[in-house]
Amino acid sequence: MTFKMHSFYAATALLGTLSVTPVVQAQETVNMGAVLSLTGANATVGEDVRRAVMLAVDKVNADGGVLGKKFGVIVEDSGGNPTTALNAARKLASVDKVPVVIGEYSSGITLPMAQYLVKEGVGHINVASTSTKVRELGASSFNLIGLENLGNQFSAADTWALGYRKVAMIAPNNAYGQGVAHGFKQEFEKLGGKVVTELLYTAGQSTYRRELQQVSRSAPDAYIYTAYGQESAVLNREAYELGLRKSPWYAILLSMSLSDTPANIANGQLGMEVGNVYGDAGKAYQAAFNAKYKEGTKTSYTGYAYDAVLMTAAAMNKAKSTDTDKVQAALKDLGKGGYVGVTGPIVFDAERQRIDPPYAKLKYDGKVVPR
Amino acid sequence: MLQFLVDTLLRASDLALIALGLSMVYGLVKFPNIAHVQYAMFGAYVTYAMHASGVPLVLAIAISCAVTGALTLGLHLLVFRRLLRAGPAIAMIGSLAVAMLVVAFMQGFAGSFPRMFNLPLTEPILIGEARVTATQLYFVGTTVVLLLLFAMLLFFTRTGRAMRALASNPALAAASGLNAEGITRGVAFASGAIAGLGGSMLALSTGAHINLGYDLLLPVFAAAILGGLGNPLGAVAGALLIAATETAVTNIDFGGLVGGDPLFMPVAYISAASFLILLLALLFKPYGLFDREVRRV
Repeated sequence: MTFKMHSFYAATALLGTLSVTPVVQAQETVNMGAVLSLTGANATVGEDVRRAVMLAVDKVNADGGVLGKKFGVIVEDSGGNPTTALNAARKLASVDKVPVVIGEYSSGITLPMAQYLVKEGVGHINVASTSTKVRELGASSFNLIGLENLGNQFSAADTWALGYRKVAMIAPNNAYGQGVAHGFKQEFEKLGGKVVTELLYTAGQSTYRRELQQVSRSAPDAYIYTAYGQESAVLNREAYELGLRKSPWYAILLSMSLSDTPANIANGQLGMEVGNVYGDAGKAYQAAFNAKYKEGTKTSYTGYAYDAVLMTAAAMNKAKSTDTDKVQAALKDLGKGGYVGVTGPIVFDAERQRIDPPYAKLKYDGKVVPR
Repeated sequence: MLQFLVDTLLRASDLALIALGLSMVYGLVKFPNIAHVQYAMFGAYVTYAMHASGVPLVLAIAISCAVTGALTLGLHLLVFRRLLRAGPAIAMIGSLAVAMLVVAFMQGFAGSFPRMFNLPLTEPILIGEARVTATQLYFVGTTVVLLLLFAMLLFFTRTGRAMRALASNPALAAASGLNAEGITRGVAFASGAIAGLGGSMLALSTGAHINLGYDLLLPVFAAAILGGLGNPLGAVAGALLIAATETAVTNIDFGGLVGGDPLFMPVAYISAASFLILLLALLFKPYGLFDREVRRV
């Protein structure tokens, strides 16, 4: 038995040497991983975020790389599909052996993917998903973006400040929509407001005229809504046709809600979204993005991805290692205070969630602009 | 009240043309073609592509109708005619496969982003208290005119009589020397063209998107079955009934019963209402509401 164990150790050690040595020799670059939705329904977001990631890589390498070597991000496509995303994460963790993986976009994909990474002990940084379940992911998962509960607090306070007291709530009848409708109502009623009607619409209908008319009967001060691009285009057009736009419309996640709505219908809508850039560093980031890609960022998530990459590179340098445990410890250290990214100061609480994540007050005036 | 009628009419027009074509083909080939709703989706994309490349809207829709009709005819000749030799159940499963192929093809070709028509925004017209836009008036107008023409064709022409004869008794019709194959081809083309028209007009407000067909599947089938599959004008009545139920359910104020505040049925139940009607109809009038002398299903 002893002999067998010895030979087992020896074989393992030999295998280890065989597999590790060439990697170490070939490892001119220090890598981290990213799983992004480069194809599928959210391809616009995925490509936008990929550009930010590449911009961050340029920045790290211009500043001298990591541990004296070239720095890189291995980007994998999730195809907007949880299984593909999981396979991509598995490849990054077991073949490329990266210490940290960022991604994905939608919560339904981020959660299973991050659960896998946490199980393997690999670091994960959430840059775009806002489900409150992100907080519960576990030991090696970090979060940079504001989750839904904070978003609801922000939009409730914002609409209250705009003077709305009696509002109608419109959201899709799915986990996301119900979460927002319920959360917003709770926060808004805490402030003393009232949600007079709650419309959880069925996705994919050819018309929402009947639903909209039902809502309008309660004569709200304002309509608070959140909807996916194409459905939102139908809702907005019909709301306009039915004269409902005489009252203000406020969108939770404004650019998602207006992505397919023609500008002449969208004009004048107010809304909120996760914050994009902050301060001088943010402006410099936007300028660099514009210079490299000849157009601006399309979504609000790019800044978070940029910060996640820069912060990971900084953590590797701080840990003087690419070992995932050491890099995670360094990330926690950086998150104790003092680190300022392009989305603002990044401070983690005990559960590695960002404290006071940024939100933006927006309006639509030809395009989505700050208000 | 006027708004109720307008909403019912608008929703019914969304479904009527497509349900009509589905029922019409069923009458001749005796299997429910699941791919039929995908012809509407296909037509919507063709119209979008034409319109985006600068063709005037009406011409774009006409071209789209012809292309969709040709696709329907082609599929009938190449696929469904062969499948039918193995029986209607096989043909129906085959039509499900064709539906998925059409969706996959369109997704590969046009991508998964919805394509919104770039149309000028017109102020709605006020009729009493009801609001409609010019596009919607054209839409309903076209549907009504087309339905009238079709009814006239069906009841006052030789072709119409031949179609009805073929639908109610194929063997006898063939024995009387009717050109069954020719009529079936004509009807297949026409049903595809009408589905393309319905899909294109629908897309003017919802945009051409990949789920357009799937979203129509249940309500269109409900309308066709309610009217008695194989009875084209029954399908139109079925569409009207479904639209009226959905509209009534969402707009009846139950507040009076419990006193005070307006109280409406949650809109999540809107489609449940129409399927309840369908279920009741299947239980008590299993051959459709207009089951008279001929058993159609």
